[in-house]
Amino acid sequence: MLNTAIASLTSGGAYALLGVGLVLTYRMTGVLNFAHAVVGAFGTYTAIVAFEVGVPYGLAMVAGIVVAASVSAGIGLVMARWFAEATTIVRSTVTIAVFLGVLVVGFRLFGDTPRVVPAILPGVRVEVATVTLTASTLVAVGGVAVLAAAVAWFLAKTRTGIILRAVSERPTTARLLGAPLQTLVVAVWAVSGAVAGAAVAIIAPTRTNDYASLAILILPALAAALLGGFRRVGVTILAGFGIALVELLGARVPAVAQYRTVVPFVVILGALLWMQRKEVWDEAR
Amino acid sequence: MRRGDLVLLGSLALGTVLFALLPSFWAFLASSAYISALLISSVGVVYGRAGMVSLCQVTFAGIGGWVVGAIGLSTSLPFPIALLVGALAAVPVGVVIGLPALRLRGVNLAVVTLGFAVAVSSALFVQGFPGARTNQPVARPALFDGERAFLLFTAAIFLLVAAALILTRRTRLGAAWEAVRHSERATAALGLSVPLVKLSAFAVSAFVAGLAGGLLAAQLGFLNARNVEPVDSLIVFVIGVFVGAHHVGGAVVGGVLGAFFPELLRRLNIPQDVGPILFAIGATQILAQGGRGLAEILARRRRPAAETRAVVYLHPPAGPPPPPISGRSSGDGAVLRASGIGVRYGAVVALEDVDVALARGRILGLIGPNGAGKSTLVDVITGFHRQDTGTVTLGTKVLDGMPAFRRAQLGLRRTFQTERTVPSLTAGDYLRLAAGGHLDPAAVGELLAFLDGPDPDTPVFGIDTGMRRRLEILGCLAARPAFVLLDEPAAGLTEEESTRLAERLREVPGRFDVGVLLVEHDIDLVVATCDEVVVLDFGRVIARGEPTDVLASDVVAEAYLGV
Repeated sequence: MLNTAIASLTSGGAYALLGVGLVLTYRMTGVLNFAHAVVGAFGTYTAIVAFEVGVPYGLAMVAGIVVAASVSAGIGLVMARWFAEATTIVRSTVTIAVFLGVLVVGFRLFGDTPRVVPAILPGVRVEVATVTLTASTLVAVGGVAVLAAAVAWFLAKTRTGIILRAVSERPTTARLLGAPLQTLVVAVWAVSGAVAGAAVAIIAPTRTNDYASLAILILPALAAALLGGFRRVGVTILAGFGIALVELLGARVPAVAQYRTVVPFVVILGALLWMQRKEVWDEAR
Repeated sequence: MRRGDLVLLGSLALGTVLFALLPSFWAFLASSAYISALLISSVGVVYGRAGMVSLCQVTFAGIGGWVVGAIGLSTSLPFPIALLVGALAAVPVGVVIGLPALRLRGVNLAVVTLGFAVAVSSALFVQGFPGARTNQPVARPALFDGERAFLLFTAAIFLLVAAALILTRRTRLGAAWEAVRHSERATAALGLSVPLVKLSAFAVSAFVAGLAGGLLAAQLGFLNARNVEPVDSLIVFVIGVFVGAHHVGGAVVGGVLGAFFPELLRRLNIPQDVGPILFAIGATQILAQGGRGLAEILARRRRPAAETRAVVYLHPPAGPPPPPISGRSSGDGAVLRASGIGVRYGAVVALEDVDVALARGRILGLIGPNGAGKSTLVDVITGFHRQDTGTVTLGTKVLDGMPAFRRAQLGLRRTFQTERTVPSLTAGDYLRLAAGGHLDPAAVGELLAFLDGPDPDTPVFGIDTGMRRRLEILGCLAARPAFVLLDEPAAGLTEEESTRLAERLREVPGRFDVGVLLVEHDIDLVVATCDEVVVLDFGRVIARGEPTDVLASDVVAEAYLGV
């Protein structure tokens, strides 16, 4: 049991990182970003291709993360330029179109077969009693801890964080108050893209990693963010780890092993049923 | 059906016959285009008309195809029946996965449908479709086995569905979809259950997608997971956004793009996956313009006059005032009563121990400074906000806990501070939707004339704000309610319009046999119309009585002017 839990930490960390990225772009720029994971996958595949042509591992990873951040920043720029006053549903619909676009461009560039992805520092292991922690587990869990702390501090304590919260609720008002809207929005998207790139790179060596499968990591991320109500970073992180644990426990039972991808869907359904206790209206009075 | 729609369907039928004369390869492509057009039409219902994002339309098609295949293997039912059963099989599936997402706002349906598409694809479709393992293809309909004959069959199904979808535009269901896309609150205020309206759109779209899947199974003979991948749902949705899937013309353009564009690219030696990238760019462009797709843009260019023509207002006939409008009012409540109402938002007290009673045939004014709690009280009475204390009764009926649309059905109608008419309907269709039942053209004309309304065929988006506000009031009255609650009906009206509205409001209780609760800042309007006035300040009733007496009192002057 303990070892199962440990084994799910890498996936859990990646889900949590992706989920937090979704919460950030939702809270700060009012978009449910369906293109989140595919951008991460795009970055990771850039890193893989770079590594394959001989770029050193560390540099290749950095390049991948930079590419993911840039693509994401590009989406952010489109949002800030053309969709600053659009509703959440319109903006989210745009990200669905972007999801499709980046997915297909990726197919063209990278093909649709799995690749050998080098694990992070393959030799490094930490053994505590009977438990073995690999480097990717440590990076995943450490990354989540650092990100959670940074986000909490940033949103609550910094002036920029407060401005960003204002931007998400009333873009026009925030602009009238002198917030450099476009720069901030693009920055949030860049950071979220970089985190997505890192998250997908962490998880890619541990599973079927063809490009489309990595893009579908959006589902556990959405499920985690949904459980966090697209607001609470802490709950989203816990949900990410929880979903990974359930998936792994399911994979150990032969009868349900092939239904791994059903887990996020079931979590989404459950979360929506739970949230539907209260009636919510679509707009303010 | 409008002439333009008939011309479109007719020319499609003609074009199909021409295609059926070409070599069978082209007939095959044309069948594919119709199947894609059906899928895109399914997006048109759920997204284009009801405004919800669904990312599993191709999964519904897969379910339809699966069932058609299974029926073909185990029974000897004729193909059209199997097709119908397959499409119907997709409906309960859609209902079950749609249900949790419908009461919540926004993009939840997109999340749950994407999850569903991936789950079904990887857990069910990869195991193979019926007949695939035993190499038994899905049989085509008996008389339509050849490629060209099958094109005729597919085209006939599409044209039937397209005609049915066009006809729903003028029905209550079609109008309700438009309303829910525009505003959930307004939909509930019209006496419609928001979840039910959304669910009906989702169910109809699942049915149409299921039909497409059954046809696809027959066209290809064998379905496999590759034909119905989650990414195909994304492509269909994005094409739908791009072309304006709620339009039959848009769906056909989308179908042609989906089927012929890859072929064109193949012949030009351009990679075929350029297609979805272009669709994605096109869809983004359409969304940036705030438009409803290519079809709408083309339609607007073709007949600009319809969009910009001057609004013709009806004027009431001269002479003595007409008799009370015919028809019985709903509701048995002689008195609408809110007693001991209290509402708190955290530490802020919005309403405290407020009592209001309103009899039919009377107008009660509710006034007070901004933030006094007037609109909150209207929300509580009409079921849009739950009170913390107190109770609302209509006659002997206790309304507490009853959802807003039920209260509207019981004869409690309201307008909103910012008007919420449905821009994509015509004035007449809006009134028919609001009326809840049958409303004949004479009654529509009579209503519109009462408040100097526009011609019933004028689209709502083409009329000015003042007129829309009056149309919203007329919508309330069209339902023949027991009570109407008007939230600042004179806001944004010119002085002239406001005076005219006061004259007409005075006649409303007698003509329509209703009680009116009027929230208003325009004191002249209140004095001219109300039998009684209640003054709220900081959530408490500070005065009530005859309008002139109340307005002369010191407490009211102090509340308003701070002196």
